[in-house]
Amino acid sequence: MSIHAVNIRKTFGQYVALENLELKVPTGGLTALLGPSGSGKTTLLRIIAGLEFPDAGSNGRVSFHGEDVTNTPPGERGVGFVFQHYALFRHLTVFENVAFGLRIRPRATRPNNREITDRVNKLLELVKLPGLGGRYPKQLSGGQRQRVALARALATEPKVLLLDEPFGALDAKVRKELRRWLRQFHESIHMTTVFVTHDQEEALELADEVVVMNNAKIEQVGPPQDVYDHPGTPFVFEFLGNVNRLYETPLPQTADEPLVPPGAVTYVRPHDIELRREPFPGSIPVVVHHVFSAGPWARVQLVTNHTGEWLDAEVSHEVIERLQPKYAQLIHACLHRPRVFVGFPESQPTPPAAPKA
Amino acid sequence: MAGPATSLVKRARPIVPLRRSTTEPPWVRRLLTGIALVFFVLFLFVPLAEVFYEAFRKGVGLYFDALSTHDAWEAIKLTLFVAVICVPLNTIFGVAAAWAIAKYRFPCRSLLLTLVDLPFAVSPVIAGLIYVLIFGARGWWGPYMNAGDHPWLGSWLNGYDIKVIFAVPGIVLATLFVSFPFVARELIPLMEAQGNDEEYAALTLGANGWQTFWRVTLPNIKWGLFYGVILCNARTMGEFGAVSVVSGHIRGKTNTLPLHIEVLYNDYQMSAAFACASLLAFLAMITLALKSFIEWRHGRAHTKAAL
Repeated sequence: MSIHAVNIRKTFGQYVALENLELKVPTGGLTALLGPSGSGKTTLLRIIAGLEFPDAGSNGRVSFHGEDVTNTPPGERGVGFVFQHYALFRHLTVFENVAFGLRIRPRATRPNNREITDRVNKLLELVKLPGLGGRYPKQLSGGQRQRVALARALATEPKVLLLDEPFGALDAKVRKELRRWLRQFHESIHMTTVFVTHDQEEALELADEVVVMNNAKIEQVGPPQDVYDHPGTPFVFEFLGNVNRLYETPLPQTADEPLVPPGAVTYVRPHDIELRREPFPGSIPVVVHHVFSAGPWARVQLVTNHTGEWLDAEVSHEVIERLQPKYAQLIHACLHRPRVFVGFPESQPTPPAAPKA
Repeated sequence: MAGPATSLVKRARPIVPLRRSTTEPPWVRRLLTGIALVFFVLFLFVPLAEVFYEAFRKGVGLYFDALSTHDAWEAIKLTLFVAVICVPLNTIFGVAAAWAIAKYRFPCRSLLLTLVDLPFAVSPVIAGLIYVLIFGARGWWGPYMNAGDHPWLGSWLNGYDIKVIFAVPGIVLATLFVSFPFVARELIPLMEAQGNDEEYAALTLGANGWQTFWRVTLPNIKWGLFYGVILCNARTMGEFGAVSVVSGHIRGKTNTLPLHIEVLYNDYQMSAAFACASLLAFLAMITLALKSFIEWRHGRAHTKAAL
């Protein structure tokens, strides 16, 4: 069941939540809507679900597999929605929560009690909560509640599964477990799934396709590898992974990397910086400011010698042992795979803290 | 040399509890509690006890006689009748208003919120006068109600003769007005605190509006609703000012229990007055008991939710 949303514009009074977007999700795909708070990703998800509607005059359309569902109420669209704070029915047991979607069906399409019991029990096993049917939501942990919410959304056999920051309120370990579970579930069922997150690690790990959103617009769409390796805008570069920003430092001219033009910003990933003691082709002189060596990688804080701009380099501990960098030592760094952006608002430098020589 | 032995010796000394700077000293606590208790006893307990004492002073037989006079019995019946009409109506209105205000945003929402609180702001006597102004014989709509008098409306309405003021309908209307806010005011903050997520979830699962209300919203608000209803009932049965203005004080016809008590009091039948008043006092105590019960149950539910 593919999703196609086009011309989507949504305002709340004066506030523009979504500015004329288009989104396509292929059948069976797992798509992440990634962005900071306020980027509009939850609003877009709710419009797909039918819990919000695009602005009246905007000609916004949502279709599932070619069928226009813009004016269909959420209950009839065949979506399963998992809310950020679970939204479990607090006065019903876990079993009744999951069975809710089946019990409210009109008599004609309602399965009989035995079928409902079977289906609910199967779902509870699927989400690894067998035997908890008699508990109430307030007696469950966060991770368990989230899984009940998933089971409830799946009970009505939706065609599309929508998750609003599903793991946002959980601690790191439970989050990783549920992520793994969701990936496995998707591989086995291949239900078209869209989830919203502000955690870029989650999006890059789980999704087949990442939609990066910022400020009511879509910045870039693509598979995780593409979006990470070939970011199209400074925002995407900065949002996914750490960056170093250079405004004035010209990089040595090599076959593929040009000089830094004025009014531009150069982005380099910390782990793309190669450090050596002696100058080498493509290197610039840098002064060591600090070395943080706790953790899987060592981080070296550097200052460019000629222009005084900060650089953070991520190198392996082996490099640290080889170089033995000390404070104020002059070494040489080669910045691999830099990206230069001209003309973006982020190109304007914010005055950096003055480095102490 | 410092070691485990010395720390044991140190611990052998009696430990004097340090008073934390964030709690007040015990005498302050006792004084404040004492003042509250004295206030409670003087202004609540003693008058209540006085009511029962005076009611039973001339003996139990006279107590029941006072309650079973024709006028008293009619007053009790009228009070119950008004309650049976007003409480369900105000429950429905209150739930509808709370539902609209808490779950939706619409242009006149703040106006509706203000209107809900209006009966609290207005003096009950004024509330009664409003109805006299509208439905009285010389009021705005009065002439149309007693349509037999009206030149051309009269023949058209076939001589309708609806009496509102100085009759039971007026009492019902006035009581509806003054007891309206209780259910709504109880439910609005409760529903706003609960948010809309569960209702949205029900919608995505295929529930229609009625199913969502009946299966999701109503069970969540049941204790608040119960509380609102018993408060509404207490006010309905005990209302004096507004009803006094519209009722006309026709003994045996348009006197509710509070009005009847006033009548007895003005006739210097003190024991009878207190006997009837004791009924209202009973009502007050039952209301308070139910209120405590709800707080106990609801409070328990609250602490369980905070897991």
